[in-house]
Amino acid sequence: MPIELTLNGEAITLDIDPRTPLLDVLRDRHGLTGAKAVCREGFCGACTVHIDGQAVPSCLRPIGLLQGCSIVTVEGLAPPGTLNRVQQAFIDHDVVQCGMCFPGMVMTLTDFLDREPTPTRDQIKAALVGNICRCTGYERIIDAVLSLQAEGVA
Amino acid sequence: MNRPTDPRTVVMNLPRRDALDKVTGRTRYTSDLGAGVLHAAILRSTVASARILRMDFSPALAMKGVRAIAQASDAPGLFGIGIADHPLLNGSRIRFKGEPLAAIAADTLEIARAAAAAVIVETEPLPAVMTMADALSPDAPIIHPDWKSYELLREGGIRGGNVAWEARVSRGDTDAAFARPDIIIIEDCFQVGRQNQLPFEPRCAVASYEDGRYHIHTSTQVPWTVRAVTAKALGVSPSRVRVTVPAVGGGFGLKFDCTIEPIAAVLAQKTGRTVSLVHSREEENLTCLCRENAEVRIRSAVTAEGEIAGREATVLMDCGAYGGEQVFLTTMTAHTLGGNYKLGSVRLNSRAVYTNTPPNGAFRACNGVYNTFFLERHTDNIARAIGMHPLELRRRAVLGDGDIGATGQVFLGDVLRPMLDRMAAFRDRTPDQRDRADGRLYGRATTVGTWFIFVGPSSATVNLNADGSATLVTSGVEIGSGTMVQALPQIVAATLGLSPDEVIVKAADTDAAGRDLGVGGGRATVSIGAASKMAAERVRDQILNIAAEMLQAQPEDLILTKGRVEIADRPGTGMAITSAIARAEALHGPVSGNGNFTAPGVAALPGCAAGHFIEAIDIPVFAVHDCEVAVDPDTGHVEVLSYKVVQDVGLALNPRAVHSQIQGGVVQGLGYALHEKISIGPDGALEQPGFEQYLVPLAGDVVPVEIDLYEGAPSIGPLGTKGAGEVPILNVGATVACAVSRAIGRDVSELPLTPPTVLALIQGRTDRMDHPHIAAEWTENLLGAEVPPRSPAKSRPTH
Repeated sequence: MPIELTLNGEAITLDIDPRTPLLDVLRDRHGLTGAKAVCREGFCGACTVHIDGQAVPSCLRPIGLLQGCSIVTVEGLAPPGTLNRVQQAFIDHDVVQCGMCFPGMVMTLTDFLDREPTPTRDQIKAALVGNICRCTGYERIIDAVLSLQAEGVA
Repeated sequence: MNRPTDPRTVVMNLPRRDALDKVTGRTRYTSDLGAGVLHAAILRSTVASARILRMDFSPALAMKGVRAIAQASDAPGLFGIGIADHPLLNGSRIRFKGEPLAAIAADTLEIARAAAAAVIVETEPLPAVMTMADALSPDAPIIHPDWKSYELLREGGIRGGNVAWEARVSRGDTDAAFARPDIIIIEDCFQVGRQNQLPFEPRCAVASYEDGRYHIHTSTQVPWTVRAVTAKALGVSPSRVRVTVPAVGGGFGLKFDCTIEPIAAVLAQKTGRTVSLVHSREEENLTCLCRENAEVRIRSAVTAEGEIAGREATVLMDCGAYGGEQVFLTTMTAHTLGGNYKLGSVRLNSRAVYTNTPPNGAFRACNGVYNTFFLERHTDNIARAIGMHPLELRRRAVLGDGDIGATGQVFLGDVLRPMLDRMAAFRDRTPDQRDRADGRLYGRATTVGTWFIFVGPSSATVNLNADGSATLVTSGVEIGSGTMVQALPQIVAATLGLSPDEVIVKAADTDAAGRDLGVGGGRATVSIGAASKMAAERVRDQILNIAAEMLQAQPEDLILTKGRVEIADRPGTGMAITSAIARAEALHGPVSGNGNFTAPGVAALPGCAAGHFIEAIDIPVFAVHDCEVAVDPDTGHVEVLSYKVVQDVGLALNPRAVHSQIQGGVVQGLGYALHEKISIGPDGALEQPGFEQYLVPLAGDVVPVEIDLYEGAPSIGPLGTKGAGEVPILNVGATVACAVSRAIGRDVSELPLTPPTVLALIQGRTDRMDHPHIAAEWTENLLGAEVPPRSPAKSRPTH
């Protein structure tokens, strides 16, 4: 049965093995390589996307379960040429190092801030249990997120 | 003067080098990119030690979509660092589980993997040794029976049997020191496990074969090493190999060696197609070139005043099945375990030992991390034995201006002692976190560490463009440390009076830039930075000379600033730099400059060191760390309450970026200290294939590192810089271990300090660590010495 869903605002139809992980559909069929295949087990969070507004690792979502869903990847998070506030905060605070985890970080924290606009430091850390970073040691990521509140834009 | 070129040597009917690909339809135009990539999978051994009797590829070749197979005969020869002992693809004798035997390129990754699984491999089991203790046993099977015939890539190593390499230091008379009546002897054994770098991007390469040359697009720290090793493996001139490197998704030393690139190149040549070879997470983890597991026996002769009259140590480093990086790293024991402190006499033996386990590699500060753990825990035990406060002992004993190191090199400047003072002041002005222990056991420790900048050759070209921007061409790679996007454009921009945004930095391409040792060892800002600075200065001098004529001024009176040439102290009197560039182009053509750099070489005492790749370190780097911990007496769980770093940075070109490196490096060290555990099963395989088993720090495990940058220590780096990205991990294991040891009142002798390990210590269920296979008599651990078979350590008066 063809799978119909919305990808970054565009209706698409897929007629493929329904067990195909969403991650592979994004990277191999649609050239959307922002989601990274790092652990493929749901622990690292580098492949996180939004499914109906919720941040989930795309490696663990078979495409057949996504009938009628709206998928947003890091490429579709903000209009071309613009950044969302989490992305801007990461740039402003010089947070990025190798960068492989950041698309997933952005997706997780964007969803998190929508639900929890004024989090504490510990709440942000708890929200990142499924997003591992090997380079930065995290604290500056937290600082960047907290700065959004200080600016009153969260 | 220019010698004229004889036209007859130039004139010829040279055929086109691109004709072959053009007539075969293989030339890749921009509109062809992204199409038709083949995928490769590696066939790996399923046992740790065996002779290969037969490999039958016919079932794989019969599968639809299989395009080529690479096997041992396609990449003959042996490779390595120091010793050529490592086949790229093994067709004869398997030495570790997971060893690459062949690789298959197919239309899809699924087909490639299925084909690899279909190859018939018949083997005859051979005895295996999984531990260094077993490998050093007199009756151990020899893992490399042909070790004597291997090509030596570096002379001077002492080798034999399962000892791949032995590096020795002997300075002064330790026998006399240990016999002195006014000393006491402190002896300890320690050990550590392996650590996985776990960069998010695994090792991967995309290779193509174009116009008779190999083009390898790869995730590496060392493009020129990949170029050289690939050429050797394929039996072609290095000029036939081009290596380009886009952004690298983390390296941490794992990508400081050539690994899978030549395999991808073989498959590209055989198929005429672009071939992608990407490790799966499981194969990446199980064949990870880890920081090696290691064991030490160390003893010191110390006076009541804290004078270290003599020190002897033997370090065993597990290189796994092949020598690799560990052969080189035996060198670094002299400068780390033999570092930090003034030693009246010293004997060190650092042995890289073969086992039938996956080979190890380089990881941020390499063996310095565990040697610092060994040394600092030993130093705490010395302090306890002589009844001196551990900080006071360190203040008295650390190396200062004019002191000599283990190999006799003279250290310049008082650095460690003032850094200890800075840390003391840092502690004094920051409230301690003892209250947060809240009933748990509280401990605190301050440690010191010595590491180095791995200098060596780099080159750079700066092209000054007509629009006033500059293009910097080097073989540097951006692995996340920021050198290519922060330090280098800052240096070039400052030299040419531009904004860093106006400096274009070309990513590594061995066809475009000169040779380079690679990005790692803290060397990029120093070595590539020095070459870049020289290149930019040569460009600057050309522009100033031209501008001086135009402005009728002296070049030395001119400065470059804000995109203009100005007469110093008279802003606004000069002109836009683009005017000077235009004049230069009209007179001579486009403006460019080259720069280069290499290790200057620092003297050691002759005869002190044997088997060392580096006898003295060109740029020492020092670090002082302080940590508070709370240990749960019921679970053994360790919480880090605070972490402070005073780091010797020379000059911090970008303090914010340096802070970022320190936070990240310390957190990797916390993982090493507390929970990044790798175990080796009875089959010789690593037992942590993924993120579920191998526990790296999460956001909730870490604390904000408090940082004080120590500037002004001597450095030959450009503008007085030192590398800042590698050293932050150096003494984290040491500091956490010392703090935990003090908290629980027990000797901490191993890392990582997982809750079960700590709980066993608290409950007194851990025996005092001993390594019976490292003889107490230092000389008995030397190759060529009469080694007593596995005798327990001799008893001697120790504390």
